[in-house]
Amino acid sequence: MNRFALIVIAILTVALAGCADKQTSDETTKQFVIGMSQCNLGEPWRVQMNKDLKEAAAKHPEIKMIFKDAQNNTTTQQSQVKELVDQRVDLIIISPKEALPLTKPVADAMDAGIAVIVLDRRIEGNKYTCFIGGDNELIGEEAGRYMVELLDGKGNIVELKGLMTSTPAVERHNGFMKGIEGSQIKIIYSVDCHWLEPDARREMASALTRFPGAGDIDAVYAHNDPSAHGGYTAAKLEGKGRENAIKFVGIDALPHEGVAYVRDGILTATFQYPTGGSEAIETALKILNGEEVEKDIILGTRVFTADNVADGGQAL
Amino acid sequence: MVSNIYHRFGGILDIAGRYRGVLAFIVVFALGAFFTPKLPGSNLSVFLTWSTQRDTLLYYAEYGILAAGMTLVILTAGIDLSVGAVLGFAATMFSLLMVGYGWHALPAALVTILAASAMGAISGFVIARFRMQPFVATLGMMLVARGAAKWICAGQKVQPGAQPWFKMQTGKPEFFDWMTTPAKGVGLQPVVLLFLLTIILLWVVVKYTRFGRHLYAIGGNEEATRLSGVSVGRVKIGAYMLCAMTAGLAGLCNASLNTLGDPEAGFTYELDAIAAVVIGGSSLAGGKGGMFFTLLGAMIIAYINKILSLNNFEEPAKLMIRGALIIVAVLIQQTLEAVEKRRVK
Repeated sequence: MNRFALIVIAILTVALAGCADKQTSDETTKQFVIGMSQCNLGEPWRVQMNKDLKEAAAKHPEIKMIFKDAQNNTTTQQSQVKELVDQRVDLIIISPKEALPLTKPVADAMDAGIAVIVLDRRIEGNKYTCFIGGDNELIGEEAGRYMVELLDGKGNIVELKGLMTSTPAVERHNGFMKGIEGSQIKIIYSVDCHWLEPDARREMASALTRFPGAGDIDAVYAHNDPSAHGGYTAAKLEGKGRENAIKFVGIDALPHEGVAYVRDGILTATFQYPTGGSEAIETALKILNGEEVEKDIILGTRVFTADNVADGGQAL
Repeated sequence: MVSNIYHRFGGILDIAGRYRGVLAFIVVFALGAFFTPKLPGSNLSVFLTWSTQRDTLLYYAEYGILAAGMTLVILTAGIDLSVGAVLGFAATMFSLLMVGYGWHALPAALVTILAASAMGAISGFVIARFRMQPFVATLGMMLVARGAAKWICAGQKVQPGAQPWFKMQTGKPEFFDWMTTPAKGVGLQPVVLLFLLTIILLWVVVKYTRFGRHLYAIGGNEEATRLSGVSVGRVKIGAYMLCAMTAGLAGLCNASLNTLGDPEAGFTYELDAIAAVVIGGSSLAGGKGGMFFTLLGAMIIAYINKILSLNNFEEPAKLMIRGALIIVAVLIQQTLEAVEKRRVK
């Protein structure tokens, strides 16, 4: 019996030593687990965000990603953040559905000693490690300035707005108005298209009937690329060839949407609303390696036009 | 109140009662003629131009097709909540077969419509075999179809270049253009023709076939119909299958108009389809109504939306006016229906 116990102890010792050995060899390339809480993967832009995160993380073998999709449900996202905390991940990236309900789960994660990067939408207060996001008002303003240049400071515009009860649409509108300030550009028809292409198509058709002359509409400013595309389709279906004369400008610049539309000559320009995916991974690495990072990182935009689309757009 | 009116204007109201759907349609049309802006430099109201009429038909054709199928189900006193999701599934699948796998339009359309019909047949089977409430069964199918739509395309819109393995990386299927370009010699787009053809075909089915008469019979009194030897289950399965088939057709139209397959397409369209059927004058209690009514109902909704859009009202006003007009349209119908009942008695 004694001998048997001895053998067991010997085996265990060897096994444990093996484990310990493995741990020390890992010390040199430390493994990090990053949990990502996405609020809704039903939107193409958010699918792109996850894709950007995945691609950026793939460049760093020491990072392991865990993705969670809250399917546009605030309570689901709350519990998913908690799951990530319970799993003891090293860092959490969250793109919250709503600010207030997710403020506490993020604070709890911080209390548990986990760094949190808030992506795209903000939370209340300042109990997070770092915020990364685009600036819709700035993008709208850039689009406005671009429009002034495109039309030589004078012309009639149709604005196909996003859902005007959502902040991005309001900011993209306000920014644009600031951008065209002082020019002789007039918005002759402005309508809420709820971010949806079919709605934009229908409303644009009405705008075209209201202003039926060849030079009545000079350009269309749409709050997202699908709406701009819907506007173009309506002009094309009208059958007067006006889709070639009217300039269509959109926002978002996803690779297979806006950028492809610019490449196909459908849109004159699209302004990128950055997902922040790659920036989030770079910032996460800095935090995990103990470096200081800025509290608020505001991302710039890029414009894609026929001239620069082959080179990946131009930073503004 | 109705009887008072009846005594004073009996003759006129008789006619009005019989053609109540047409009357509601005329009222909305007149609203459009008088309450839309004039064309610049002319006295003609924008609403009365050919381009407005053509646009209205083109952009509301998919709702009309859905409503035509929905009529069959509503005649049996059922309801189909899944049509919007089935539309989204069909639009996605159709685009995927053409853009992703490089299929020709015809086989892609056939397979898509078969798949959509199968979804309807399953709903119908569950409703007929297990006597499940149509509301619940089709609510389930709504989620299944929406999930299937997102699953087959990995959650992303199906368009050239969206996935590296897609056969088509640039351009777009010619079929999409064909569907939305006016056909030579007709002046209407195949999408619109498909809408009118669906209405006519289903009108014949409802009015002149035994299947059609059984739909009314089931809606009127299901138990009596069963006792008279009609295979109620089969008729129901047929109704839900045809309804899903129209959703498949509407999906083809949706993909053609969007020039891509959007897995989110058709979200809440079922409500517009149901509204069109009811506004036309068919009863949600079943057994009453018909395809011509649905055509009127679909056009009434389309015109209301078009009038609001042409006037470019602010969003809140648009929603409230749209809701009020729908209620008024149904109110006109019901008042006149009550009058008609008195006349028949």
